[in-house]
Amino acid sequence: MKPLNLIAILLFVSGAVWALTRSERTVREIQCSYFSAIAPFLKSGSQTEAYARSFLDEVQHSKVLDAELATVNREMGRLRIVESRYRELERENAQLRHALDFKTASTFNVATAQVIRRQPTTWWQTVEIDVGEERGIGTQLAVLSNEGLVGIVDRPAKDRSSVILLTDEACQVSAKVEDSPEVGILSGQRGQFEGAPLLRLKFLSKNATLRSGQRVFTTGRGGIFQANILLGTIVSVEKGAEDSEALVRPAVNFADLGTVFVVLAKDPPKK
Amino acid sequence: MTRYTLITVLLVLASFVVQQFLPALTALHHSRVLLVQLVFLCAAVTVGQPTMLLLAFVCGFLWDAQCTLGVHGGDPEIYNQPVESLRFGYSILLFGAMGFLMQGIQPLFKQGKWYFSALLSGIAILLYLAAEYLIITFARGGFTFAKATALQMAYTSLLTMLFSPLIFWMLFGIASICAHSINPEAAKKRRRHF
Repeated sequence: MKPLNLIAILLFVSGAVWALTRSERTVREIQCSYFSAIAPFLKSGSQTEAYARSFLDEVQHSKVLDAELATVNREMGRLRIVESRYRELERENAQLRHALDFKTASTFNVATAQVIRRQPTTWWQTVEIDVGEERGIGTQLAVLSNEGLVGIVDRPAKDRSSVILLTDEACQVSAKVEDSPEVGILSGQRGQFEGAPLLRLKFLSKNATLRSGQRVFTTGRGGIFQANILLGTIVSVEKGAEDSEALVRPAVNFADLGTVFVVLAKDPPKK
Repeated sequence: MTRYTLITVLLVLASFVVQQFLPALTALHHSRVLLVQLVFLCAAVTVGQPTMLLLAFVCGFLWDAQCTLGVHGGDPEIYNQPVESLRFGYSILLFGAMGFLMQGIQPLFKQGKWYFSALLSGIAILLYLAAEYLIITFARGGFTFAKATALQMAYTSLLTMLFSPLIFWMLFGIASICAHSINPEAAKKRRRHF
């Protein structure tokens, strides 16, 4: 082997080892620098893409009506979330006042965002949204749609963020089943890209008595997701030797994600 | 030679930007054109080993910067079995392995038989995706291999391979502009012929 090739291999291996031993924080800094460097290209590319898309829309619909409809839909979605949240708060408040004489105060601010890119990588189920740190977006914030939980913010940049979808194996959510004491961890399944992917609700009790159609909600435990966000409905239950697992059809249609809402402020810890 | 190497590095960097706008094709099992990998594979066969390793490092490093997911976080008492994330930097080794594979048929490429390299680029992408999937499975456990995953890998390799003549054409163009021969034996043969 030529000495130059040997030196190159040694340098390559050293570089690989250096990269493999970077801490989580350093990796985030590298990612941040990388996306900052390509941000101008992404921005201009997204703008061109948006122009092209709006031009095609113009052929089919009136642009003014389309814009109005989008605004109304966005507002309706936001209000639905706020309304459902207030109903929950009202119920919770009444319960606490009645039983424990406690007062709760919650903030539930959401930022409206548009999905600008879908699944930019091969194996991870992620999307990119058009809001970032400028609008107060941080990591591990819940992302919702009108229908339920969409996912969690993974990597916020200045004016865009990457969201891990609920259908990805890496997105775990503490979940409960309505009208049942069952709680478990819900996550996506590996390699499910086709049509309507199913989620897997793990760590249910061995003799879980669940029926098809029961709804699954977030428990609010775990410090990431707020309570009572709709996740999906039970499709089937698989009983195991030590515990049971259920397949869950997600409430959100992930193939048709447009407007989403990022929950900016989490509930303060309950007293 | 230096100019060619420099332009090849720039071409690889440009492919990262273009890759951002290449969508997954839902009709073809979410397959996509892996432009970064393709440009690297085509370039790897036209350069020497040190340059190939430099390109492999750049590609792997930036690819992971683009794709690595963060840790899930949350209360460890609730999320006590977190899904493992892949280590940042694993792609550097995968790119390196692919590069060595491509350099294995460099003698054929130097004779002007670029189509063997084009074919091998498809095979290398298939192996790359298979290796990546196996690494994910190894890190997270629970081996599952759905038909949809196999089709996704196959279509991605095929689609990407179809673009390799275009990349080779660009590389030949760049080499010509830089007055550098990437297949010297074929050039010699041509001169003898005329």
